[in-house]
Amino acid sequence: MSTSIDLLSFSPPPSSMLSRTQFSFTHKPTFLLSSKKESFFTLRASAADNGAGVSAPAVTVEEPKVREASEGPTESNGAVEAPEVKAVNKFEDPKWVNGTWDLKQFQKNGQTDWDAVIDAEARRRKWLENSPESSSNDDPVIFDTSIVPWWAWIKRFHLPEAELLNGRAAMIGFFMAYLVDSLTGVGLVDQMSNFFCKTLLFVAVVGVLLIRKNEDIETLKKLLEETTFYDKQWQATWQDETTSGAKKE
Amino acid sequence: MASMALKSFTGLRQSPQEQQHPHFIAQALPRQQKFRVSAAKTSPKLTNRNLRVAVIGGGPAGGAAAETLAKNGVETFLIERKLDNCKPCGGAIPLCMVGEFDLPLDIIDRKVTKMKMISPSNVAVDIGQTLKPHEYIGMVRREVLDAYLRERAEKNGASVINGLFMKMDLPRNFEQPYVLYYTEYDGTKGGVGEKRTLEVDAVIGADGANSRVAKSINAGDYDYAIAFQERVKIPDEKMVYYENLAEMYVGDDVSPDFYGWVFPKCDHVAVGTGTVTHKGDIKKFQLATRNRAKDKILGGKIIRVEAHPIPEHPRPRRLSGRVALVGDAAGYVTKCSGEGIYFAAKSGRMCAEAIIEGSENGTRMIDEGDLRKYLEKWDKTYWPTYKVLDVLQKVFYRSNPAREAFVEMCADEYVQKMTFDSYLYKRVVPGNPLEDLKLAVNTIGSLVRANALRREMDKLTI
Repeated sequence: MSTSIDLLSFSPPPSSMLSRTQFSFTHKPTFLLSSKKESFFTLRASAADNGAGVSAPAVTVEEPKVREASEGPTESNGAVEAPEVKAVNKFEDPKWVNGTWDLKQFQKNGQTDWDAVIDAEARRRKWLENSPESSSNDDPVIFDTSIVPWWAWIKRFHLPEAELLNGRAAMIGFFMAYLVDSLTGVGLVDQMSNFFCKTLLFVAVVGVLLIRKNEDIETLKKLLEETTFYDKQWQATWQDETTSGAKKE
Repeated sequence: MASMALKSFTGLRQSPQEQQHPHFIAQALPRQQKFRVSAAKTSPKLTNRNLRVAVIGGGPAGGAAAETLAKNGVETFLIERKLDNCKPCGGAIPLCMVGEFDLPLDIIDRKVTKMKMISPSNVAVDIGQTLKPHEYIGMVRREVLDAYLRERAEKNGASVINGLFMKMDLPRNFEQPYVLYYTEYDGTKGGVGEKRTLEVDAVIGADGANSRVAKSINAGDYDYAIAFQERVKIPDEKMVYYENLAEMYVGDDVSPDFYGWVFPKCDHVAVGTGTVTHKGDIKKFQLATRNRAKDKILGGKIIRVEAHPIPEHPRPRRLSGRVALVGDAAGYVTKCSGEGIYFAAKSGRMCAEAIIEGSENGTRMIDEGDLRKYLEKWDKTYWPTYKVLDVLQKVFYRSNPAREAFVEMCADEYVQKMTFDSYLYKRVVPGNPLEDLKLAVNTIGSLVRANALRREMDKLTI
């Protein structure tokens, strides 16, 4: 539930993202009811369906679970033991080839769909976080997130948040300018040339940047303490000198 | 006033030492000295005997300290409770230690020249390509290294006593000695041992993380990590992979604030992990480490299980009177990598050198000021190293995204070069500023990307 709310908070929700959420939410109940046949059908559909690059990966997550459960131990794991003790459902995905994402499979309109690559990698990491796998020399993971170009990251993550923060800053700015004007009669142009007002502006910008949630205030305080904690531990032995040899307990 | 008193006294001595004194005066005047009756240089020359120093603990710190003391004319007693102690330890020593401590090359079981860093999502990065052919990380067996250093100390004139230090009587005034109470073992297994006492002028506490010397001087406590390790004998064909390669696994599953490792030893590997904050879950972390290395240690047999505490930071008080702590007892283990052997040996040596200098090769009584010189020198020389590693730990061991970024950064050649240079030679070298800038930008980029992916991950429910 919280996931959909989170997405809606982006001012204009990108329609593809919203549809993806709905897709993944509705897909879950159907997965539970679906038979093996249906999951295979969706698997084939995703392989052929390169157009909707965003929706396809949502399907592949569920399919390994179904495959393993119904098909028996045909995994690449090669483990000889019975599955119940050592059962590891390895992360598998048709686009994950030789330890990296095969960018050719992420084509959309002749160009690589970086959003899909980011989604796929997030899914892989989430999978591994829930069930860590052995790192193997035979199929090493060599994916490096830096292959996704910088503008793709900015477009996806920075811009929505930047919009949010700019909106906040604008609202605060407008309100404060109005307030100061009504209290002191100083217009906007004259406010800008006043040092105190410039300081207030700086504080407002920094505040909007650093404090985005209520918890951030505590986090910042803790971070500040952290930076000097280790130094204090090292200096502890020198405190003795200034207390004229008195024993501390 | 104190300086004038010193100068008049030095008129009686030979000239070369006079030049030292202004230097010494500048450092020997912490406010505390004003309350003392005498500073070291004016303390009495010892008659009929040399300075007696007891080194409690015969590990790298104790062995190095005892050797330096004995070589320079101090009457040294090295008290070690278990002469054949097979200590649980990673066993990695940097290249500079071999040179600085003249270690024979046959002590080193393996020369590790490659490392693999493995991220939470199993991205594996090989590091070590920038190493020159003569550079390596030495893997040693602690029982071999410790015994070698102790024997060398003995050859130089130290008396090695097989005994367990129990407690210590602090002197009531400057003239009185420290009285040590220890139980001496005569070498027969299971023997109860005899209680003995020993009077010495100064004590070096090198007795490790649970130091009794530290307790005797109310040195205070420190936070410590628990390191848990299993020695696994793996089949020969799998051992070939670990011929000169060590692995580091990072991830929340392996440890919330440290790393899991597979280090090759003489004929087996050590698989282990550690933690400060979640000590109760250490078994779970060990299972996760074994799981992550499963493919490579499949078919292995666990031959030994061991655990030990690793200090996270120095004790609040590292010396008191004429008692100084060195090595793990003082808490000289770095963050991020958890390295302690080199720093233990080096601090033992530095403390011994300070005693030698303050006592003028064992001919004078020393005082706290002389030992403080060792602390000053230590802090000045190694503080940058410790601080940098602390910052690295705080930034990169924080969370899974940070660890992913860490492993990504390790792929960079400049990072590898800087890391190995600072590890092997124990210097924090300022690199090329342009490269540093590029490195900073790349680091921030990696962190931002990994955290962005983490935010995507949080939205997913699998």
